[in-house]
Amino acid sequence: MNFIRLLQGTPQPDVDLTRTYDAIVIGSGAAGGMAAHVLTSQGMKVLMLEAGKKLVVDKELKSMEWPYDHPRRGAMPPGHHALSLNEYTIRQPPYAEGLKYTNVYSYVQGWNGADYSKNIVVNEKEHPYTGTNYAWVRARGLGGKTNIWGRLALRLSDYDFKAKSHDGYGEDWPISYADIAPYYDRVDQYLGISGVKENLPFLPDSIFQRPTRLAAAEVTLRNSLKRMNRVLTPYRAGVTTDGLKHNKYRSRCFGRGACNRRVGGCDIHAAFDSPTGLIYPAQDTGNLTLRTNSIAREILVDGNTGKARGVTFVDAENGRAYEARGKVIVLAASTLESARLMLLSKSSAHPNGVGNSSNHVGHNFCEHVMGPGITGLVKERVGKEKTIDDGRPGGFYIPRFRNISDKNPTFIRAYGFEGSSGSHMFPNHVHSTPGFGAAYKKTVRDNQGAYISMGGFGEVLPRYENYVDLDPATTDRWGVPVLRFHYKFGDNEKKMCEDMAAAAQEMFELAGFEIVKVEREMLTEGWSIHELGTARMGTDPKTSVLNQFQQSHDVKNLFVVDGSSHVSASCQNPTWTIMALAWRSCDYLVSEFKKGNL
Amino acid sequence: MEDLSRRDVMKLGAAATVATALGVGESLASQPATPAFFTTEEFAMLDELSEMIVPADDHSPGARGAKVAAYIDARLAEAFEEKDKVIWREGLAHIERLSRDMSGKSFAQSSAAERLATLTRIARNERAPKEPEELFFVELKRRVVDAYYSSEIGIKQELEYKGNTYLAEFVGVDVSAE
Repeated sequence: MNFIRLLQGTPQPDVDLTRTYDAIVIGSGAAGGMAAHVLTSQGMKVLMLEAGKKLVVDKELKSMEWPYDHPRRGAMPPGHHALSLNEYTIRQPPYAEGLKYTNVYSYVQGWNGADYSKNIVVNEKEHPYTGTNYAWVRARGLGGKTNIWGRLALRLSDYDFKAKSHDGYGEDWPISYADIAPYYDRVDQYLGISGVKENLPFLPDSIFQRPTRLAAAEVTLRNSLKRMNRVLTPYRAGVTTDGLKHNKYRSRCFGRGACNRRVGGCDIHAAFDSPTGLIYPAQDTGNLTLRTNSIAREILVDGNTGKARGVTFVDAENGRAYEARGKVIVLAASTLESARLMLLSKSSAHPNGVGNSSNHVGHNFCEHVMGPGITGLVKERVGKEKTIDDGRPGGFYIPRFRNISDKNPTFIRAYGFEGSSGSHMFPNHVHSTPGFGAAYKKTVRDNQGAYISMGGFGEVLPRYENYVDLDPATTDRWGVPVLRFHYKFGDNEKKMCEDMAAAAQEMFELAGFEIVKVEREMLTEGWSIHELGTARMGTDPKTSVLNQFQQSHDVKNLFVVDGSSHVSASCQNPTWTIMALAWRSCDYLVSEFKKGNL
Repeated sequence: MEDLSRRDVMKLGAAATVATALGVGESLASQPATPAFFTTEEFAMLDELSEMIVPADDHSPGARGAKVAAYIDARLAEAFEEKDKVIWREGLAHIERLSRDMSGKSFAQSSAAERLATLTRIARNERAPKEPEELFFVELKRRVVDAYYSSEIGIKQELEYKGNTYLAEFVGVDVSAE
C-alpha cells in the first residue's frame, strides 16, 4: 500500500572519533530524539550514541498479521520466557538468574503478540539488576521504548509543578506551566496528538488533531460521570490522526488497532516513535551522526576545568571501548540508565559521580502505581451486533478528581484511569467465562463487545530514601556495574490504591454496569514503566541535581533531559512532558552554546 | 509401509477404532496422520474434549473445525518445559482412568452422555481447582480456548471480529462537538 512509508532515513556516515562534536547525545528515545531534533535544526553538529541496534521496526512489528498466520499465534518461540507477576513477587532481582530459558524478558513480553517485539526489549539475562523488587522494562535499540510506548500523551499542570505549594509535600518544580506551555504546543504540532478539548485546569488541552471516538458504553460512562463532576475523555494519543506534512516518514492513523493487540508499536508510524518522528528528520539536516550498538560507559571530565569533555563507550558487538569527544554532553538514556551513568562517572572532581555533589543522583525515584481497576458488563450490549471498537490508538482516559479543591483525609496527590470497552480480537472473557460447551460458547459470543474495564495510574511520592545505586558485585554482559534498587511503595500509595478501587466501583455502579471484578492489589513496583526523578531539577544545588534547564548544577556543559529530571511524578503519563522539557532546555542549550557560555 | 514399527501400526489401528467410536471419521482424517506429540489415542481424545469445550453450533464450527487439537499438539511437541508435556500426558491419562471408574468404559468407547459426565466431573471446581484432574481441566480449557479464539474461525466467524483493517474514519461516537 503506497501510504506505508518504507523510508528509513539517510544512511549514517562513518563516525569520526577524532573530531570534537558540538554535542554528544546519549540515548535515542523520546528525550534523546528531541535533543537531536532541537540541536541539529539549529546547526549544532551532534553525535548520538545508542546502546542498542538499529532495527527496521516495520519488519519487526507486522502489525496486520492475523494470529492464525503466525506459527505460534504471536507467541515467542520455546526457550523465550516473559516474567510473570508471580515471579516478580516470589523472586528477587536479578530475576533471570538461575532460569534455564535462553531469553528472559520483562512482563510486557507476556502480552499478546510478544514475538513481534522481542527484539526491541532487552534480554534480562544480559541485563541483570539487583536489590528490591522492581519490574523494570527496558528497550535497547534506536528509539528505545518509544517503539512500543502506550501513546497516552498528557500535559502536566501547575497542580503538578506547584504541588508542594498545594499540599506541602516534597518540592515544587523550578518551572511553572506558563514556562513549558509553548513547548507543549510545539511538541503537539511537530509530532501530532489526537484528543478532545475539555478545558480542565488540571489536565491542560493540547493542540489536537482528529479525535478518536468512544464506544457506546464509554459514552454511557462519560455521561454518568458528569453527574459526579468528573470527566471521561477520548484517549489523548501521541498519534498523528491527520498526518504531518513536514514529516515524510510518518503516515496518518488508519485505525488499524494493531497498537492495542500487541505489546505496542506502529509500523506506519502514525503513533510517535523517536526514529521517524525526530531522528530521521534530524539526520536529514546533515548535522546528526548516529552510532548504534554504543553503550555509554562513562562521562569524561576535564581535570582542569571540571567540565565534561566526552564519553567512553563500549561497542556492543565487538566489546571494545572507544572515546568520543563533545563540547556539550546531553544525557538522555532514560531515568534509571542516566542515573547509572552519572554514578559510573567518578573522577577526582566528582568523586560521587558526575554532577552528584548533592548526593541526590539516583534518589527521589518515583513513578506511577498501578493495580486497582475494574471490569464491568454492560447488559444493554449483550447479544448486540458486533462493531469495530478497537480500531483506534486507545480507549478513554478519566483525569484526576482527588485533591483538587477538596482534601482527601487519607492520601495526597491523585490518580487517573485508562480504560476501554467493546469488541477485541481476542477478548479476555474467553478465559474468565466459566464452564464449557454450547452455553459457554454462546455466552462468550453474546458478551463479545459488552465489557468495559479500566485501571488506575497513581502518583508515587518522591522520597529520598527510594533510590538506586551501583551494585559493587554485579555487572552486565559488557562488564558494566548494574543498578541496585532500594525502592518500596509507601503508605500514601497504599491508601491511594484503596481509594482507587473504591472509586472505580462507585463510578461503574453509578453508570449501571454490572460489576464483574474489582482489582484491589497493587502491582509490583515498576509496572507502569514511568520511572522518574533520579536527577531532579531544582533551584538549590544542595537538594537537586539540575537547574530548570536540565543543566547540571555542577557541570555546566552537562544536560540531563529525560524523565530523571522530573521533580514529582504527577499522575499524568510523562512522555509528552519529557519532550516539551527537553525542547525547552535544548533551546536554552543552543543559545548558551552560541554565546560561548558552555 | 514396511518401515512402520509395531507401535505405529497399533496407533493406526487404534485411531481407526477411535474414529469409528466417536463418529468423527471425516474430521479426524483432516488432522495430521501422525501427531507430533500425542499418541493417536491421546490425540483423538483431545480432539473430542476440545469439541466438547467449544462445540460446533448453528453459528460456527467448533474446536474440531478450527483444528484446535493439531495446534495444541504442535505447541506441546516443541514445549521448552518438560513439565508441560508431563501435565498433558498425565492429565489425559487421568481422564481415561476417570472414565473407566465412572462408566466402566474407556473415554473413546463411552457414550456422549458418559463423556459429558466425565468432563463435567473434572470441570466442577474450575474457580478453585484442587484435585489433579480439576487442575488439568483448567489447563485443558485454557489451551483449547486460546487456540480456538485465535483461529480464523474463532475470530471471524464465531466472534464476528471486524477490525484489523484500514479505516478512513474512526468508528463510534464523536464527542468533540459536545
